[in-house]
Amino acid sequence: MTAAGSPAGSAAWGSTAAVPSIELEVVSFAYPDGTRALSDVGLRIEAGESVAIVGQNGSGKSTLVRHLNGLLRPTAGRVLLDGRDVRRIHVARLAGLVGLAFQNPDRQLFASRVSAEVAFGPRNLGIRGPELDERVQAALADTGLGAEAATNPYDLGYSRRKLLALASVLAMRTPILVLDEPTTGQDARGVARVRDVVARAAGEGRTVIAISHDMRFVAESFRRVVVMREGRVVLAGAPDVVFGEAAWPELGAAYLEPPLAAVAGARLGLGATPTESAFVTAVGRRRGGATAGGAGAE
Amino acid sequence: MPDFARRIPVGRYRGLHPVTKAILAMVGAIVALGVRGWTGPAVVLAAVVLSGALAGVLRRMALFALATIPLVVSILLVNTFLYPNARDAIVTVGPLSPTWTGATAALQATMRVVAFGMSAAVFALTTPIDDLLTELERRGLGRRGAFVVGSALGAIPRMVERAREVVDAQRARGLDTEGGPWRRFKGLVPLLGPVILGALGEVEERTMALEARAFTAPGRRTLLRRLPDSRRQQLARWLLLLGSICLVVVSLSGVVKLP
Repeated sequence: MTAAGSPAGSAAWGSTAAVPSIELEVVSFAYPDGTRALSDVGLRIEAGESVAIVGQNGSGKSTLVRHLNGLLRPTAGRVLLDGRDVRRIHVARLAGLVGLAFQNPDRQLFASRVSAEVAFGPRNLGIRGPELDERVQAALADTGLGAEAATNPYDLGYSRRKLLALASVLAMRTPILVLDEPTTGQDARGVARVRDVVARAAGEGRTVIAISHDMRFVAESFRRVVVMREGRVVLAGAPDVVFGEAAWPELGAAYLEPPLAAVAGARLGLGATPTESAFVTAVGRRRGGATAGGAGAE
Repeated sequence: MPDFARRIPVGRYRGLHPVTKAILAMVGAIVALGVRGWTGPAVVLAAVVLSGALAGVLRRMALFALATIPLVVSILLVNTFLYPNARDAIVTVGPLSPTWTGATAALQATMRVVAFGMSAAVFALTTPIDDLLTELERRGLGRRGAFVVGSALGAIPRMVERAREVVDAQRARGLDTEGGPWRRFKGLVPLLGPVILGALGEVEERTMALEARAFTAPGRRTLLRRLPDSRRQQLARWLLLLGSICLVVVSLSGVVKLP
């Protein structure tokens, strides 16, 4: 795991083969004021997985992901990247492994130009010259900010600033990408963009972890969902399991609601993650049945 | 929770009226800085330690004491080495000759600074700022004045919280905030930028939010929160304030020589 030892080594992590697995071993964490945010969390995320973490406010989601890049250190337990305790790796070096886009973009934007803001992260990782330019351009293109490279970040609206914060982490090309509430404040087009970013990163074999309250986004974009309540993982599995009817009481206890599609899918007997075409077919069938052989919706 | 429904502070020190605690802090500052010799700062230090113990904030006061360290170090160095006209050198090493006079003055000044800081610390740690502002508004400070004072004081913990998040966000992007002075200096812009810009943006938003909630509407606000006060406290406030001013005048005029 020499790549973790040097910023330049992050390039090695950038390849699919070098994506580390993540393991939280009975991790507990309490803030200095005594607030217990995590209690005995055990979680393993394989290299290249896409995982959504959901839960009510204050359930420990953000605290958990801040353990992945060493911003927080567990008060008990261990966080391992490919079996190596992150406690032994400097945060600035972990930044080359785990890219974390914060929920509030205004907590990080400082440059006078969008492009400079995006270049900040990779520059800290030691990237310079044409590669830096290429990374910046690609990240801006991925987030739809290509035309605003010279704009002052504070002249952008909130949703665009949020995309900029995302771009600034994308440009670091970390093998693990963590997004904290990426769709908050985004319109349908913005959500679609975030969804594309997640799909592309997952397609490249990177591990993608997102915290979200947007259950539709979660159900449609991630292969595993982890539900947290009061600092513990209470449910984990594929979206069709977590959003399946059998799990609704547990979701309700965590003050979460399954996405509308899961509810409708359950009613139509299509499972928790029905595809659009399955919906159309089922509705058509129902209508057909009701009108005794009338034309279906398809 | 509405302001008036919050629990009334209890305890020997915490239960004092906020204006009484403000006066105590003010008297502490006047005596610590204004009375000549060791007596003023020593008495104030003893009083604040006692008050801190009564209020159960001694440990948290240590953080405020730490905050005075840069000033204390500067006082100690400047006075010990550069005290004007002092000739009683402790030792002479090349061009440096610290003096006993300077060291004594430095220690006394340090005690004053620490006593002043601790006096403010006890007040800050035991007095909800909203309570103080409510009482000041009741005494005619005015809504705008209360807002200016309140937002200035309330901004401090918010700024600290914001700064912490900004540091985290920039470290997550590989900014190394540890290491040599140059590295730390280079890290200042990415850290200060979001803190300051965010704070400015917040002030603007808060102002608009206040306007939207009829902040500037004419008429006097009805203050529902009432904190217990007593004739004894009122009398004690006046006596303390006048007594401390008299003490400073007497001390400075040289009529009474205090150790």
